[in-house]
Amino acid sequence: MGGSSNTINPWPFLLPALLLCILFFLIPTVNMVILSLTTENGFGLDNFKLFFSTPHLTQALYRSITLAISATIMGSLVAWPLAYFIVFCVNKKWRPLFLLAILAPFWTSFTIRAFSWQLVLSDNGVIAWFIELITGMSVTLGILYTMNASIFGLALFCSMLTTFTLYGALVSIDTKLIEAASNLGAKPFNIFKDIIFPLGLPGWIAGIFLSFIVCVGDYAVPTLLGGGLKPVLAQIMLSILKGTYDLSQAATIAIILAMTVIMCGLPLIIYGMLRRKRLSV
Amino acid sequence: MNGLIVNKFMLLILTAFFCLSLIVIYLPILVMVVFSFNSGKYQTLPFREPTFEWYVSLIADNSFINSFFTSLMMASLASIFATILGFLAAYAFSKAKVPAHALLFGIVVCPLVIPMILIGIGMRLQIVSIGIEPALWLVLLGQTLYVLPLAVINLKNRIDKIPKSMEEAAISLGSTRIKSIILILAPICAPSIFATLLLTFTFSFDEFVIAYFLTNFEVTLPIRIWTSLVTGFEPKINAVGTAVFIFSLTLGLIAQFILLFKQTDLDKNKA
Repeated sequence: MGGSSNTINPWPFLLPALLLCILFFLIPTVNMVILSLTTENGFGLDNFKLFFSTPHLTQALYRSITLAISATIMGSLVAWPLAYFIVFCVNKKWRPLFLLAILAPFWTSFTIRAFSWQLVLSDNGVIAWFIELITGMSVTLGILYTMNASIFGLALFCSMLTTFTLYGALVSIDTKLIEAASNLGAKPFNIFKDIIFPLGLPGWIAGIFLSFIVCVGDYAVPTLLGGGLKPVLAQIMLSILKGTYDLSQAATIAIILAMTVIMCGLPLIIYGMLRRKRLSV
Repeated sequence: MNGLIVNKFMLLILTAFFCLSLIVIYLPILVMVVFSFNSGKYQTLPFREPTFEWYVSLIADNSFINSFFTSLMMASLASIFATILGFLAAYAFSKAKVPAHALLFGIVVCPLVIPMILIGIGMRLQIVSIGIEPALWLVLLGQTLYVLPLAVINLKNRIDKIPKSMEEAAISLGSTRIKSIILILAPICAPSIFATLLLTFTFSFDEFVIAYFLTNFEVTLPIRIWTSLVTGFEPKINAVGTAVFIFSLTLGLIAQFILLFKQTDLDKNKA
Protein backbone atom coordinates (compact mmCIF):
# COMPACT_ATOMS: atom_id res chain seq x y z
CA MET A 1 0.00 0.00 0.00
CA GLY A 2 2.75 2.39 0.97
CA GLY A 3 4.49 1.83 -2.33
CA SER A 4 1.50 2.53 -4.51
CA SER A 5 0.40 5.62 -2.63
CA ASN A 6 3.86 7.10 -3.01
CA THR A 7 3.31 7.50 -6.71
CA ILE A 8 0.72 10.19 -7.12
CA ASN A 9 -0.16 10.79 -10.74
CA PRO A 10 0.54 14.53 -11.07
CA TRP A 11 -1.24 15.12 -14.35
CA PRO A 12 -4.89 15.32 -13.26
CA PHE A 13 -3.84 17.97 -10.72
CA LEU A 14 -1.47 19.83 -12.97
CA LEU A 15 -3.24 19.76 -16.30
CA PRO A 16 -5.91 22.44 -15.74
CA ALA A 17 -3.39 25.07 -14.66
CA LEU A 18 -0.89 24.04 -17.30
CA LEU A 19 -3.50 24.12 -20.05
CA LEU A 20 -4.49 27.65 -19.09
CA CYS A 21 -0.86 28.78 -19.20
CA ILE A 22 -0.17 27.06 -22.52
CA LEU A 23 -3.32 28.30 -24.26
CA PHE A 24 -3.31 31.85 -23.00
CA PHE A 25 0.34 32.53 -22.40
CA LEU A 26 2.73 30.25 -24.29
CA ILE A 27 0.85 30.07 -27.59
CA PRO A 28 0.13 33.83 -27.66
CA THR A 29 3.81 34.50 -26.97
CA VAL A 30 4.92 32.28 -29.86
CA ASN A 31 2.26 33.90 -32.03
CA MET A 32 3.57 37.32 -31.09
CA VAL A 33 7.13 36.39 -32.07
CA ILE A 34 5.90 35.08 -35.42
CA LEU A 35 3.77 38.18 -35.97
CA SER A 36 6.72 40.47 -35.25
CA LEU A 37 8.83 38.61 -37.80
CA THR A 38 6.14 38.61 -40.48
CA THR A 39 6.36 41.33 -43.09
CA GLU A 40 4.66 41.98 -46.41
CA ASN A 41 7.35 40.06 -48.25
CA GLY A 42 7.65 37.00 -46.04
CA PHE A 43 9.75 36.47 -42.93
CA GLY A 44 12.33 38.98 -41.86
CA LEU A 45 13.54 41.56 -39.41
CA ASP A 46 11.94 44.46 -41.30
CA ASN A 47 9.61 45.32 -38.42
CA PHE A 48 12.56 45.65 -36.07
CA LYS A 49 14.55 47.72 -38.58
CA LEU A 50 11.54 49.98 -38.94
CA PHE A 51 11.29 50.28 -35.15
CA PHE A 52 14.90 51.29 -34.72
CA SER A 53 14.75 53.79 -37.57
CA THR A 54 11.69 55.55 -36.14
CA PRO A 55 13.01 58.22 -33.75
CA HIS A 56 9.87 58.59 -31.66
CA LEU A 57 9.83 54.84 -31.00
CA THR A 58 13.52 54.57 -30.07
CA GLN A 59 13.13 57.61 -27.86
CA ALA A 60 10.20 55.90 -26.15
CA LEU A 61 12.32 52.78 -25.60
CA TYR A 62 15.09 54.92 -24.15
CA ARG A 63 12.60 56.66 -21.86
CA SER A 64 11.11 53.32 -20.75
CA ILE A 65 14.55 52.01 -19.79
CA THR A 66 15.74 55.22 -18.10
CA LEU A 67 12.51 55.51 -16.17
CA ALA A 68 12.57 51.89 -15.03
CA ILE A 69 16.24 51.95 -14.04
CA SER A 70 16.06 55.26 -12.12
CA ALA A 71 12.88 54.29 -10.29
CA THR A 72 14.22 50.84 -9.44
CA ILE A 73 17.51 52.19 -8.10
CA MET A 74 15.86 54.88 -5.99
CA GLY A 75 13.22 52.51 -4.66
CA SER A 76 15.69 49.78 -3.81
CA LEU A 77 17.92 52.20 -1.89
CA VAL A 78 15.01 53.42 0.21
CA ALA A 79 14.05 49.80 0.93
CA TRP A 80 17.19 49.12 3.00
CA PRO A 81 16.61 51.55 5.88
CA LEU A 82 12.91 50.68 5.92
CA ALA A 83 13.37 46.90 6.05
CA TYR A 84 16.34 47.28 8.41
CA PHE A 85 14.28 49.38 10.79
CA ILE A 86 11.35 46.96 10.80
CA VAL A 87 13.47 43.86 11.33
CA PHE A 88 16.14 45.12 13.75
CA CYS A 89 14.53 48.01 15.63
CA VAL A 90 11.00 46.76 16.16
CA ASN A 91 9.82 44.24 18.70
CA LYS A 92 9.32 40.85 17.08
CA LYS A 93 5.62 40.86 17.89
CA TRP A 94 5.00 44.16 16.10
CA ARG A 95 7.07 43.54 12.99
CA PRO A 96 4.23 42.33 10.71
CA LEU A 97 2.19 45.36 11.75
CA PHE A 98 4.97 47.78 10.81
CA LEU A 99 5.42 45.97 7.52
CA LEU A 100 1.69 46.22 6.87
CA ALA A 101 1.82 49.96 7.48
CA ILE A 102 4.29 50.31 4.62
CA LEU A 103 2.54 47.79 2.38
CA ALA A 104 -1.11 48.67 2.92
CA PRO A 105 -1.50 51.06 -0.03
CA PHE A 106 0.15 48.37 -2.14
CA TRP A 107 -3.13 46.46 -2.16
CA THR A 108 -5.13 49.21 -3.73
CA SER A 109 -5.49 50.29 -7.30
CA PHE A 110 -2.27 51.36 -8.96
CA THR A 111 -4.18 53.90 -11.05
CA ILE A 112 -5.85 55.46 -8.06
CA ARG A 113 -2.52 55.89 -6.32
CA ALA A 114 -0.98 57.54 -9.36
CA PHE A 115 -3.97 59.84 -9.59
CA SER A 116 -3.76 60.80 -5.93
CA TRP A 117 -0.23 62.10 -6.56
CA GLN A 118 -1.64 64.45 -9.18
CA LEU A 119 -3.55 66.14 -6.37
CA VAL A 120 -0.32 66.68 -4.45
CA LEU A 121 2.12 67.54 -7.22
CA SER A 122 0.03 69.63 -9.61
CA ASP A 123 0.64 73.38 -9.95
CA ASN A 124 -2.39 74.12 -7.80
CA GLY A 125 -1.94 71.01 -5.68
CA VAL A 126 -1.21 70.55 -2.02
CA ILE A 127 2.53 71.25 -2.15
CA ALA A 128 2.09 74.47 -4.14
CA TRP A 129 -0.64 75.53 -1.75
CA PHE A 130 1.54 74.78 1.25
CA ILE A 131 4.49 76.76 -0.14
CA GLU A 132 2.21 79.69 -0.86
CA LEU A 133 0.78 79.49 2.65
CA ILE A 134 4.24 79.74 4.19
CA THR A 135 6.04 82.13 1.88
CA GLY A 136 3.02 84.10 0.77
CA MET A 137 4.23 83.85 -2.81
CA SER A 138 2.44 81.98 -5.53
CA VAL A 139 4.75 79.42 -7.14
CA THR A 140 4.63 77.35 -10.28
CA LEU A 141 5.98 73.96 -9.34
CA GLY A 142 6.17 72.46 -12.82
CA ILE A 143 6.67 68.96 -11.38
CA LEU A 144 3.54 67.26 -12.70
CA TYR A 145 3.72 65.90 -16.25
CA THR A 146 7.48 65.54 -16.26
CA MET A 147 9.76 62.53 -16.34
CA ASN A 148 10.78 63.30 -12.75
CA ALA A 149 7.20 62.94 -11.57
CA SER A 150 7.03 59.53 -13.28
CA ILE A 151 10.29 58.44 -11.70
CA PHE A 152 9.09 59.56 -8.29
CA GLY A 153 5.75 57.76 -8.63
CA LEU A 154 7.33 54.51 -9.70
CA ALA A 155 10.20 54.74 -7.19
CA LEU A 156 7.62 54.87 -4.43
CA PHE A 157 6.07 51.67 -5.73
CA CYS A 158 9.51 50.01 -6.05
CA SER A 159 10.44 50.94 -2.51
CA MET A 160 7.34 49.19 -1.18
CA LEU A 161 7.94 46.09 -3.26
CA THR A 162 11.64 45.86 -2.40
CA THR A 163 10.99 46.51 1.29
CA PHE A 164 8.65 43.53 1.20
CA THR A 165 11.14 41.12 -0.42
CA LEU A 166 14.08 42.44 1.63
CA TYR A 167 12.07 42.07 4.84
CA GLY A 168 11.59 38.39 3.99
CA ALA A 169 15.33 37.90 3.69
CA LEU A 170 16.35 39.93 6.74
CA VAL A 171 13.76 38.46 9.08
CA SER A 172 15.05 34.93 8.47
CA ILE A 173 18.62 35.78 9.48
CA ASP A 174 19.61 33.67 12.46
CA THR A 175 20.10 36.12 15.32
CA LYS A 176 22.72 33.80 16.84
CA LEU A 177 25.05 34.79 14.00
CA ILE A 178 24.80 38.43 14.97
CA GLU A 179 25.19 37.69 18.69
CA ALA A 180 28.24 35.55 18.01
CA ALA A 181 29.84 38.21 15.86
CA SER A 182 29.16 40.84 18.47
CA ASN A 183 30.52 38.70 21.30
CA LEU A 184 33.69 38.26 19.31
CA GLY A 185 34.01 42.02 19.06
CA ALA A 186 32.58 42.88 15.65
CA LYS A 187 31.56 46.50 15.23
CA PRO A 188 27.97 47.25 14.07
CA PHE A 189 29.26 48.32 10.67
CA ASN A 190 31.17 45.08 10.20
CA ILE A 191 28.15 43.05 11.28
CA PHE A 192 26.17 44.83 8.61
CA LYS A 193 28.85 44.42 5.94
CA ASP A 194 29.69 40.77 6.62
CA ILE A 195 26.43 39.27 7.84
CA ILE A 196 23.31 41.32 7.23
CA PHE A 197 24.11 42.67 3.77
CA PRO A 198 25.15 39.35 2.17
CA LEU A 199 22.19 37.50 3.68
CA GLY A 200 19.74 40.21 2.68
CA LEU A 201 21.08 40.35 -0.87
CA PRO A 202 18.85 37.65 -2.43
CA GLY A 203 15.70 39.37 -1.16
CA TRP A 204 16.99 42.72 -2.32
CA ILE A 205 17.83 41.43 -5.80
CA ALA A 206 14.44 39.73 -6.12
CA GLY A 207 12.80 43.05 -5.26
CA ILE A 208 14.93 44.93 -7.79
CA PHE A 209 14.08 42.41 -10.50
CA LEU A 210 10.33 42.52 -9.86
CA SER A 211 10.39 46.32 -9.59
CA PHE A 212 12.12 46.65 -12.94
CA ILE A 213 9.54 44.40 -14.61
CA VAL A 214 6.64 46.41 -13.27
CA CYS A 215 8.25 49.76 -14.13
CA VAL A 216 9.23 48.91 -17.69
CA GLY A 217 5.71 47.74 -18.54
CA ASP A 218 3.81 50.45 -16.71
CA TYR A 219 1.51 52.87 -18.52
CA ALA A 220 -0.48 54.33 -15.60
CA VAL A 221 2.20 56.36 -13.83
CA PRO A 222 3.81 57.64 -17.08
CA THR A 223 0.40 58.74 -18.33
CA LEU A 224 -1.01 60.27 -15.14
CA LEU A 225 2.20 61.77 -13.73
CA GLY A 226 4.46 61.95 -16.78
CA GLY A 227 1.85 63.17 -19.20
CA GLY A 228 1.23 62.11 -22.78
CA LEU A 229 3.73 64.33 -24.61
CA LYS A 230 6.78 62.16 -24.05
CA PRO A 231 5.33 58.65 -24.02
CA VAL A 232 7.09 55.47 -22.93
CA LEU A 233 6.74 52.25 -24.93
CA ALA A 234 3.82 50.91 -22.90
CA GLN A 235 1.83 54.07 -23.62
CA ILE A 236 2.54 53.70 -27.33
CA MET A 237 1.36 50.08 -27.24
CA LEU A 238 -1.85 51.14 -25.58
CA SER A 239 -2.47 53.81 -28.20
CA ILE A 240 -1.72 51.45 -31.12
CA LEU A 241 -4.37 48.98 -30.03
CA LYS A 242 -7.01 51.63 -29.56
CA GLY A 243 -5.84 53.76 -32.49
CA THR A 244 -3.85 52.84 -35.60
CA TYR A 245 -4.30 49.14 -34.88
CA ASP A 246 -1.03 48.18 -36.56
CA LEU A 247 -0.80 44.71 -35.05
CA SER A 248 2.63 43.71 -36.33
CA GLN A 249 4.03 46.94 -34.93
CA ALA A 250 2.34 46.22 -31.60
CA ALA A 251 3.86 42.72 -31.62
CA THR A 252 7.29 44.13 -32.47
CA ILE A 253 7.15 46.62 -29.60
CA ALA A 254 6.00 43.86 -27.26
CA ILE A 255 8.93 41.65 -28.25
CA ILE A 256 11.38 44.53 -27.80
CA LEU A 257 9.92 45.20 -24.36
CA ALA A 258 10.26 41.53 -23.48
CA MET A 259 13.87 41.49 -24.69
CA THR A 260 14.58 44.53 -22.53
CA VAL A 261 13.28 42.72 -19.47
CA ILE A 262 15.31 39.63 -20.29
CA MET A 263 18.52 41.57 -20.94
CA CYS A 264 18.23 43.65 -17.80
CA GLY A 265 17.16 40.63 -15.79
CA LEU A 266 19.85 38.31 -17.11
CA PRO A 267 22.70 39.54 -14.88
CA LEU A 268 20.42 39.10 -11.86
CA ILE A 269 19.32 35.62 -12.94
CA ILE A 270 22.92 34.53 -13.56
CA TYR A 271 23.89 35.92 -10.19
CA GLY A 272 21.08 33.91 -8.58
CA MET A 273 22.19 30.71 -10.29
CA LEU A 274 25.86 31.20 -9.37
CA ARG A 275 24.87 31.84 -5.80
CA ARG A 276 22.73 28.72 -5.63
CA LYS A 277 25.59 26.70 -7.05
CA ARG A 278 28.02 28.16 -4.54
CA LEU A 279 25.67 27.42 -1.65
CA SER A 280 25.12 23.84 -2.75
CA VAL A 281 28.86 23.13 -3.07
CA MET B 1 20.13 41.62 20.28
CA ASN B 2 18.90 44.82 18.71
CA GLY B 3 21.25 46.92 20.79
CA LEU B 4 24.20 45.13 19.27
CA ILE B 5 23.77 46.46 15.77
CA VAL B 6 21.84 49.71 16.16
CA ASN B 7 23.08 52.43 18.45
CA LYS B 8 20.89 55.23 19.79
CA PHE B 9 21.84 57.66 17.04
CA MET B 10 21.13 55.15 14.26
CA LEU B 11 17.84 54.21 15.88
CA LEU B 12 16.79 57.85 15.88
CA ILE B 13 17.64 58.30 12.21
CA LEU B 14 15.95 55.06 11.15
CA THR B 15 12.80 55.87 13.13
CA ALA B 16 12.65 59.32 11.58
CA PHE B 17 13.15 57.86 8.12
CA PHE B 18 10.37 55.34 8.69
CA CYS B 19 7.94 58.00 9.88
CA LEU B 20 8.83 60.24 6.95
CA SER B 21 8.18 57.36 4.56
CA LEU B 22 4.78 56.77 6.11
CA ILE B 23 3.92 60.44 5.60
CA VAL B 24 5.00 60.31 1.96
CA ILE B 25 3.05 57.10 1.36
CA TYR B 26 -0.17 58.23 3.00
CA LEU B 27 -0.20 61.95 2.21
CA PRO B 28 -1.69 61.71 -1.32
CA ILE B 29 -4.31 59.20 -0.22
CA LEU B 30 -5.28 61.43 2.68
CA VAL B 31 -5.54 64.37 0.29
CA MET B 32 -7.79 62.35 -2.00
CA VAL B 33 -10.07 61.38 0.88
CA VAL B 34 -10.26 65.00 2.02
CA PHE B 35 -11.06 66.23 -1.49
CA SER B 36 -13.81 63.64 -1.83
CA PHE B 37 -15.70 65.57 0.88
CA ASN B 38 -14.80 68.98 -0.50
CA SER B 39 -17.45 71.01 -2.29
CA GLY B 40 -16.58 73.04 -5.36
CA LYS B 41 -15.69 71.76 -8.79
CA TYR B 42 -11.95 72.46 -8.65
CA GLN B 43 -9.52 70.43 -6.66
CA THR B 44 -7.78 73.25 -4.88
CA LEU B 45 -7.21 74.08 -1.27
CA PRO B 46 -8.22 75.56 1.07
CA PHE B 47 -10.98 73.23 2.08
CA ARG B 48 -14.45 74.54 1.36
CA GLU B 49 -17.71 73.32 2.85
CA PRO B 50 -17.82 69.58 3.55
CA THR B 51 -20.25 67.71 1.33
CA PHE B 52 -21.48 64.24 0.44
CA GLU B 53 -22.38 65.51 -3.02
CA TRP B 54 -19.77 63.41 -4.85
CA TYR B 55 -20.76 60.21 -3.11
CA VAL B 56 -24.42 60.86 -3.91
CA SER B 57 -23.68 61.54 -7.56
CA LEU B 58 -21.46 58.45 -7.63
CA ILE B 59 -24.27 56.21 -6.46
CA ALA B 60 -26.59 57.82 -9.01
CA ASP B 61 -24.09 57.23 -11.83
CA ASN B 62 -25.06 53.96 -13.50
CA SER B 63 -21.84 53.67 -15.47
CA PHE B 64 -19.80 53.46 -12.26
CA ILE B 65 -22.22 51.16 -10.49
CA ASN B 66 -22.50 48.79 -13.46
CA SER B 67 -18.75 48.65 -13.96
CA PHE B 68 -18.34 47.96 -10.25
CA PHE B 69 -20.63 44.93 -10.49
CA THR B 70 -18.86 43.73 -13.64
CA SER B 71 -15.53 43.95 -11.82
CA LEU B 72 -17.00 42.25 -8.77
CA MET B 73 -18.17 39.32 -10.88
CA MET B 74 -14.92 39.06 -12.86
CA ALA B 75 -12.77 39.20 -9.74
CA SER B 76 -14.92 36.70 -7.84
CA LEU B 77 -14.84 34.15 -10.64
CA ALA B 78 -11.15 34.71 -11.47
CA SER B 79 -10.12 34.34 -7.83
CA ILE B 80 -12.17 31.15 -7.41
CA PHE B 81 -10.79 29.64 -10.62
CA ALA B 82 -7.22 30.64 -9.83
CA THR B 83 -7.44 29.30 -6.27
CA ILE B 84 -8.86 25.95 -7.39
CA LEU B 85 -6.39 25.53 -10.25
CA GLY B 86 -3.62 26.85 -8.03
CA PHE B 87 -4.43 24.45 -5.21
CA LEU B 88 -4.41 21.45 -7.53
CA ALA B 89 -1.17 22.52 -9.20
CA ALA B 90 0.46 23.34 -5.85
CA TYR B 91 -0.50 19.88 -4.60
CA ALA B 92 1.09 18.25 -7.65
CA PHE B 93 4.27 20.33 -7.36
CA SER B 94 4.51 19.70 -3.64
CA LYS B 95 3.57 16.05 -3.23
CA ALA B 96 3.83 14.29 -6.59
CA LYS B 97 6.84 13.51 -8.76
CA VAL B 98 6.41 15.94 -11.63
CA PRO B 99 8.56 15.29 -14.67
CA ALA B 100 10.52 18.37 -15.81
CA HIS B 101 9.51 19.93 -12.49
CA ALA B 102 11.50 23.15 -12.88
CA LEU B 103 10.31 23.77 -16.44
CA LEU B 104 6.62 23.21 -15.70
CA PHE B 105 6.77 25.22 -12.48
CA GLY B 106 8.47 27.96 -14.47
CA ILE B 107 5.70 27.97 -17.06
CA VAL B 108 3.00 28.22 -14.40
CA VAL B 109 4.60 31.08 -12.43
CA CYS B 110 6.03 32.88 -15.46
CA PRO B 111 3.12 35.36 -15.83
CA LEU B 112 4.32 36.86 -12.55
CA VAL B 113 7.67 37.93 -14.00
CA ILE B 114 6.32 39.23 -17.30
CA PRO B 115 5.04 42.78 -17.60
CA MET B 116 1.25 42.51 -17.51
CA ILE B 117 0.93 44.57 -20.66
CA LEU B 118 2.69 41.79 -22.60
CA ILE B 119 0.19 39.17 -21.38
CA GLY B 120 -2.64 41.46 -22.42
CA ILE B 121 -1.27 42.29 -25.82
CA GLY B 122 -0.30 38.67 -26.51
CA MET B 123 -3.84 37.48 -25.86
CA ARG B 124 -5.33 40.29 -27.90
CA LEU B 125 -3.15 39.52 -30.92
CA GLN B 126 -3.94 35.82 -30.54
CA ILE B 127 -7.72 36.22 -30.49
CA VAL B 128 -7.54 38.57 -33.45
CA SER B 129 -5.55 36.07 -35.49
CA ILE B 130 -7.98 33.22 -34.80
CA GLY B 131 -11.00 35.45 -35.24
CA ILE B 132 -12.55 35.59 -31.76
CA GLU B 133 -14.31 38.79 -30.76
CA PRO B 134 -13.04 40.49 -27.58
CA ALA B 135 -15.41 39.64 -24.73
CA LEU B 136 -15.71 39.42 -20.97
CA TRP B 137 -15.11 35.66 -20.78
CA LEU B 138 -11.67 36.27 -22.27
CA VAL B 139 -10.98 38.87 -19.58
CA LEU B 140 -11.94 36.27 -17.01
CA LEU B 141 -9.46 33.74 -18.41
CA GLY B 142 -6.75 36.37 -18.82
CA GLN B 143 -7.11 37.54 -15.23
CA THR B 144 -7.19 33.97 -13.94
CA LEU B 145 -3.88 33.41 -15.73
CA TYR B 146 -2.47 36.60 -14.25
CA VAL B 147 -3.30 35.74 -10.61
CA LEU B 148 -2.62 31.99 -10.90
CA PRO B 149 1.11 32.28 -9.96
CA LEU B 150 0.16 34.05 -6.72
CA ALA B 151 -2.21 31.22 -5.85
CA VAL B 152 0.29 28.49 -6.73
CA ILE B 153 3.15 30.05 -4.76
CA ASN B 154 1.04 30.87 -1.70
CA LEU B 155 -0.60 27.46 -1.52
CA LYS B 156 2.57 25.52 -2.32
CA ASN B 157 4.29 27.24 0.60
CA ARG B 158 1.53 25.96 2.86
CA ILE B 159 1.23 22.45 1.43
CA ASP B 160 5.01 22.00 1.58
CA LYS B 161 4.80 22.27 5.38
CA ILE B 162 2.21 19.52 5.73
CA PRO B 163 3.83 16.10 6.17
CA LYS B 164 2.84 13.53 3.60
CA SER B 165 2.17 11.06 6.41
CA MET B 166 -1.17 12.67 7.27
CA GLU B 167 -2.60 11.84 3.91
CA GLU B 168 -0.88 8.46 3.81
CA ALA B 169 -2.49 7.56 7.13
CA ALA B 170 -5.94 8.35 5.77
CA ILE B 171 -5.28 6.33 2.64
CA SER B 172 -3.98 3.30 4.46
CA LEU B 173 -7.15 3.42 6.58
CA GLY B 174 -9.19 3.10 3.39
CA SER B 175 -9.75 6.65 2.17
CA THR B 176 -9.27 7.58 -1.47
CA ARG B 177 -6.74 10.16 -2.66
CA ILE B 178 -9.46 12.66 -3.61
CA LYS B 179 -11.31 12.17 -0.33
CA SER B 180 -8.15 12.65 1.71
CA ILE B 181 -7.38 15.88 -0.14
CA ILE B 182 -10.87 17.27 0.39
CA LEU B 183 -11.31 16.09 3.99
CA ILE B 184 -7.78 16.47 5.35
CA LEU B 185 -5.51 18.63 3.24
CA ALA B 186 -7.99 21.34 2.26
CA PRO B 187 -9.22 21.98 5.83
CA ILE B 188 -5.64 22.24 7.10
CA CYS B 189 -4.93 24.78 4.37
CA ALA B 190 -8.20 26.65 4.92
CA PRO B 191 -6.66 29.91 6.21
CA SER B 192 -4.20 29.97 3.33
CA ILE B 193 -6.92 29.16 0.83
CA PHE B 194 -9.05 31.97 2.19
CA ALA B 195 -6.12 34.40 2.08
CA THR B 196 -5.32 33.32 -1.46
CA LEU B 197 -8.92 33.94 -2.51
CA LEU B 198 -8.80 37.45 -1.09
CA LEU B 199 -5.39 38.19 -2.55
CA THR B 200 -6.22 37.01 -6.05
CA PHE B 201 -9.55 38.82 -5.81
CA THR B 202 -7.86 42.13 -4.99
CA PHE B 203 -5.33 41.78 -7.79
CA SER B 204 -7.95 40.83 -10.33
CA PHE B 205 -10.34 43.53 -9.13
CA ASP B 206 -7.73 46.23 -9.75
CA GLU B 207 -6.38 44.77 -12.97
CA PHE B 208 -6.65 47.16 -15.87
CA VAL B 209 -4.54 46.33 -18.87
CA ILE B 210 -5.72 42.77 -19.61
CA ALA B 211 -9.35 43.89 -19.33
CA TYR B 212 -8.64 46.91 -21.51
CA PHE B 213 -7.13 44.78 -24.28
CA LEU B 214 -9.68 41.97 -24.20
CA THR B 215 -12.96 43.85 -24.25
CA ASN B 216 -14.47 46.30 -26.68
CA PHE B 217 -17.60 47.60 -25.01
CA GLU B 218 -17.96 45.97 -21.61
CA VAL B 219 -16.31 48.06 -18.97
CA THR B 220 -14.76 47.05 -15.66
CA LEU B 221 -14.28 49.53 -12.85
CA PRO B 222 -10.55 50.17 -13.51
CA ILE B 223 -11.38 50.87 -17.17
CA ARG B 224 -14.16 53.26 -16.16
CA ILE B 225 -11.82 55.07 -13.77
CA TRP B 226 -9.06 55.21 -16.38
CA THR B 227 -11.39 56.68 -19.00
CA SER B 228 -12.49 59.31 -16.54
CA LEU B 229 -8.89 60.19 -15.63
CA VAL B 230 -7.53 60.53 -19.15
CA THR B 231 -10.50 62.17 -20.86
CA GLY B 232 -11.23 64.95 -18.43
CA PHE B 233 -11.62 65.45 -14.77
CA GLU B 234 -14.79 64.49 -12.92
CA PRO B 235 -14.80 65.67 -9.31
CA LYS B 236 -16.50 62.47 -8.16
CA ILE B 237 -13.36 60.55 -9.08
CA ASN B 238 -12.05 61.40 -5.59
CA ALA B 239 -15.07 59.67 -4.11
CA VAL B 240 -14.55 56.67 -6.42
CA GLY B 241 -10.89 56.54 -5.46
CA THR B 242 -11.69 56.68 -1.75
CA ALA B 243 -14.33 53.96 -2.07
CA VAL B 244 -12.05 51.68 -4.12
CA PHE B 245 -9.16 52.35 -1.76
CA ILE B 246 -11.14 51.34 1.30
CA PHE B 247 -12.67 48.34 -0.45
CA SER B 248 -9.38 46.88 -1.73
CA LEU B 249 -7.49 47.85 1.39
CA THR B 250 -9.89 45.96 3.64
CA LEU B 251 -9.68 42.79 1.56
CA GLY B 252 -5.92 43.06 1.04
CA LEU B 253 -5.25 43.70 4.70
CA ILE B 254 -7.31 40.72 5.83
CA ALA B 255 -5.41 38.52 3.38
CA GLN B 256 -2.03 39.89 4.40
CA PHE B 257 -2.95 39.59 8.06
CA ILE B 258 -3.86 35.95 7.69
CA LEU B 259 -0.71 35.18 5.73
CA LEU B 260 1.58 36.96 8.16
CA PHE B 261 0.04 36.04 11.51
CA LYS B 262 -2.12 32.97 11.14
CA GLN B 263 0.49 30.86 9.42
CA THR B 264 3.17 31.55 11.95
CA ASP B 265 0.67 30.62 14.66
CA LEU B 266 0.02 27.28 13.01
CA ASP B 267 3.70 26.60 12.63
CA LYS B 268 4.28 27.44 16.26
CA ASN B 269 1.57 24.99 17.33
CA LYS B 270 3.17 22.29 15.28
CA ALA B 271 6.59 22.88 16.76
